[in-house]
Amino acid sequence: MRLRFSNSITLKMTLLVLGCTSLVFSIILGYNYSYSRKIILDEAEIKARNLTLSVANKIEQEFRAVTKIPQHIVSFLKTNDYNRTTLDRIIQGMVEDNPEVFGSAVGFEPNAFEEGVQSYSPYYYRTTNGLKYLQLGSASYNYFQRDWYHIPKVLKAPVWIEPYFHRRGGGIIMTAYSVPLLESAKDSAATKVKAIVSADVSLEWLTWLVASMRLGRTGYGFIMSDIGTIVTHPREEWIMRQSIFSLADEFGDSRLRQIGRAMIREKSGFTELGSTLTGEDAFIAYARIPSPGWSLGAVFPRSEIFEEVCGLYERTVLLAGLGLVLLLIASALVARSMARPLLRMSEATRKVVRGDLDIDLSDIRRKDEVGQLARDFTGMTAGLKERDRIRDTFGRYLTQEVVDRLLESKDGLRLGGEAREISMIMSDLRGFTALTSSRKPEEVINFLNHYLGKMVDILMEHRGIIDEIIGDGILAFFGAPEPMENHAASAVACALKMQAAMEEVNEGNEAEGLPRLEMGVAVNTGEVIVGNIGSEKRSKYGAVGLQVNFTGRAESFAVGGQVLVTKATYEELSDILRVRKVLKVEMKGMSGKVELYDITGIGEPYNVYLAENEETLVAVREMINVEVYRIDEKVVTESGTTARITHISSSSAIIVLHEKLSQWENVRLQLLNNQLAPVSGKVYAKVVSVVRVDDNHEAEVHFTSVSPEAEKVFRQRLGKK
Amino acid sequence: MRKSLIFLFLILWFLSVSTVFAETPLKKVSLIPQWIPQASFAGYIVALEKGFYLEAGIDLTLHEGGPDKSSFAQLSAGKATFCSGWLAYAIAQRVSGLRMVNLAQIIQRSALMLVARKSSGIKSPEDFNGKTVGLWEGQWRVQPRIFFHKFGVKVMIVPAYTSMNLFLKGGVDAITAMWYNEYHKILNSGLNPDELSLFFFSNFGLNMPEDGLYCMEETFKADPQLCARFVQASLKGWLYAFNHEDETVELVMKHADAAHTGTNRAHQRWMLAHMKDLIMPGGDKNRLGKLRPEDYTNAGQLLKESGMIDRLPRFDDFYVGSQ
Repeated sequence: MRLRFSNSITLKMTLLVLGCTSLVFSIILGYNYSYSRKIILDEAEIKARNLTLSVANKIEQEFRAVTKIPQHIVSFLKTNDYNRTTLDRIIQGMVEDNPEVFGSAVGFEPNAFEEGVQSYSPYYYRTTNGLKYLQLGSASYNYFQRDWYHIPKVLKAPVWIEPYFHRRGGGIIMTAYSVPLLESAKDSAATKVKAIVSADVSLEWLTWLVASMRLGRTGYGFIMSDIGTIVTHPREEWIMRQSIFSLADEFGDSRLRQIGRAMIREKSGFTELGSTLTGEDAFIAYARIPSPGWSLGAVFPRSEIFEEVCGLYERTVLLAGLGLVLLLIASALVARSMARPLLRMSEATRKVVRGDLDIDLSDIRRKDEVGQLARDFTGMTAGLKERDRIRDTFGRYLTQEVVDRLLESKDGLRLGGEAREISMIMSDLRGFTALTSSRKPEEVINFLNHYLGKMVDILMEHRGIIDEIIGDGILAFFGAPEPMENHAASAVACALKMQAAMEEVNEGNEAEGLPRLEMGVAVNTGEVIVGNIGSEKRSKYGAVGLQVNFTGRAESFAVGGQVLVTKATYEELSDILRVRKVLKVEMKGMSGKVELYDITGIGEPYNVYLAENEETLVAVREMINVEVYRIDEKVVTESGTTARITHISSSSAIIVLHEKLSQWENVRLQLLNNQLAPVSGKVYAKVVSVVRVDDNHEAEVHFTSVSPEAEKVFRQRLGKK
Repeated sequence: MRKSLIFLFLILWFLSVSTVFAETPLKKVSLIPQWIPQASFAGYIVALEKGFYLEAGIDLTLHEGGPDKSSFAQLSAGKATFCSGWLAYAIAQRVSGLRMVNLAQIIQRSALMLVARKSSGIKSPEDFNGKTVGLWEGQWRVQPRIFFHKFGVKVMIVPAYTSMNLFLKGGVDAITAMWYNEYHKILNSGLNPDELSLFFFSNFGLNMPEDGLYCMEETFKADPQLCARFVQASLKGWLYAFNHEDETVELVMKHADAAHTGTNRAHQRWMLAHMKDLIMPGGDKNRLGKLRPEDYTNAGQLLKESGMIDRLPRFDDFYVGSQ
């Protein structure tokens, strides 16, 4: 029977282990991942900030160097006289001496250079062929309207010019630093602009410097002016055309606009960028270049920063996954290895339920708890087996009822008893003891077992509790330990049945060359004490009391084939008992005569009747000579008296002798031949009555045991007739 | 039977087409805008590129305008057949003797404005007092001058040229700008609208229509049909531009890049979007290309006030668009 999957240990355990481990893994991995990301991001930020600051610083140095040039010219012009030539020379010299400068110009206000000269602006610049001169004050070039002139003029302060293309729409990107040459007005404190000195700077070096920034594989740097115009950028189409704000506008990225504003205003920073500039989510570190107010930005994609971590993470997750798979297999195996023996044991248990206690769990050879369980289980079934055996064994020696009571009830083994009215049977074989001395031990036991086997069957049939079997004697009671209604009737019926069975027993005995024996049975009813008698080490369930003794006493008066009941029993069952005769006997220690009833049958519903044997004594033609030995307390006396059997029946005889025998005395008769010599043939008998006839005594004796030889003789004298 | 019918039909069709062609050869003309190629001339660019002029039998050359070329000067010098220019300037030119006529009024409203930094203390017109303002020269000073006069403020006027850097570098507290052009440039230099104070002249009763199409009077008289067709095609171009923004922006960028103007799509898109409202206020197609007499009269009034003209030419002499 397959267990339903959802109830299986294997599944449960596996799922539980897997679930818990997965949870733990996830937590660890998750924390690990997020924390390493944080660390890496922090690192990246520090690196980026440092990089941008250092590069911005470098750029700043360059710009600062450039500012010197116009300032020098201005201070020269302020303090010295000059004419066209000297001015030209100054400008030329400055450009020549400073390679970072592309060109330099000085633009004069109308009439400021010379009276009547409306515009004058000498300009020297580099070409591949050396310095070239250009006069900016011409019809085609209105320098007054140019930013490099106009703005510092209005501001009356030096200013960096917004980058522009050297040639219209293309060429090198330039910026310029313009310094106004101020002079105080003659008539007021206000200053007036006399000229603007400007130096152009090519930004190629800037482009190169920024392009060489190391920012991983896909990161890059860019520069924007103080109004956001892109000055250098990997994407050429954006240079000078787009500002960071127009990009934010075009791509609808308001965060980018914020960042642009921050870059212009703040000294430095580091923030998340979004995907507008690089096409994927990125970070930006920025630093301001103070002089022109421009900003350097370093962009690096998020994915690159976390590449390592991601890779590591992926590998970790993979390992974790493998680990889980292994765990899955392992826990499934473990669970199964546990489940299997358990299933085996469950199978074994079902066998036990069916009653089959032959369990073999020896294939569970484990040393752990499960193995322990298997061993203990085996031990248990062995124990159960043993108990069954004991019970069976007990059953042989004790009535099942008693065994059950003993084994099953908690109080069963309690020592102590109760008073109860029960009926008792006592029986024994007449002449058995004598038999034991004259036969081989195996024969004796054999014979005994035949007899007892039959009797026990009958007793058990009638639910009699066999209390004792002492040799050939049986003491059984009815009505304890389990109460029994009609215990008297059961007892009597049982006794009768037992008596009736003797014929069968004797037939068996005869067939084996064993003597015929007779059994005497007595039944008594009365109150006794029943219970566990003895100590914990050795006890028995038995009955004690006067009535027990009395039963024994009554039994001693029973001759073979007789069933005697006491008055108490008789009175209980008088209606249904068939009484043959009533004996009045004297018992030691009891006053008056005791009535014992010889019964031969019990009526409804038991209907057990003894065959009425013809007990008529038949006179023998020839008297049989016998030697009579009196038996005193079971001991046969040495000398005997010669006597003669005058009458004989199958179960009794009349003997004539001089000696007076006592009633109920047991005697042994040795057969003699005509010459009064002993021949083989022994008889044991009980004296039933003694009558004095002239000088002799006539004793009626009832056979208790007749040897086969004697039997033969008697039959001869009887039967052949 | 059938075959010969088809053949006949084909021959007739050929003849008719060729006669049409034969009768109306393409007229070669040119147009000069008053500024560099940008979306404020989108209608003409689109009409050229989409062949509307060709359909009208016009072979148009679109010249490149710029800050150093006065479109009216080009017109009078005969360098261009048509030009676009400002109403105020055109009136002043006409008054001073340049016999040119207005074929169509394109921009119906004034887009001129003053942009000031809130941080310089300018929040209302009165705050201009004592401040430095950058103004474009010439006709562009008409509105601001009247404005300052109206509010009785004394300002320090500084000439402003093509770039907004003077304003952005803090050289002036306020500057003139076109709503569809320079204002956007200022925004895209990093200034937020909430940091700026805006003054639209059209809100202060100084609403003068601006761009219009002009030609010399004799050009018109010589071939009014041509002029009419030119205007029709141009207006068709404008309508198309309003309905096909993305395509129009691409065409404008093409012309702008050819002239190396260094602009970008975002800027042109802004410009085009604002042109629609200026050219067709409230989406009213009926006003497209028409100069209203009252607008003409108002403009003339303002010009007289500021002393740029002493008399206003007759409306019908000036505007021939209704003919």
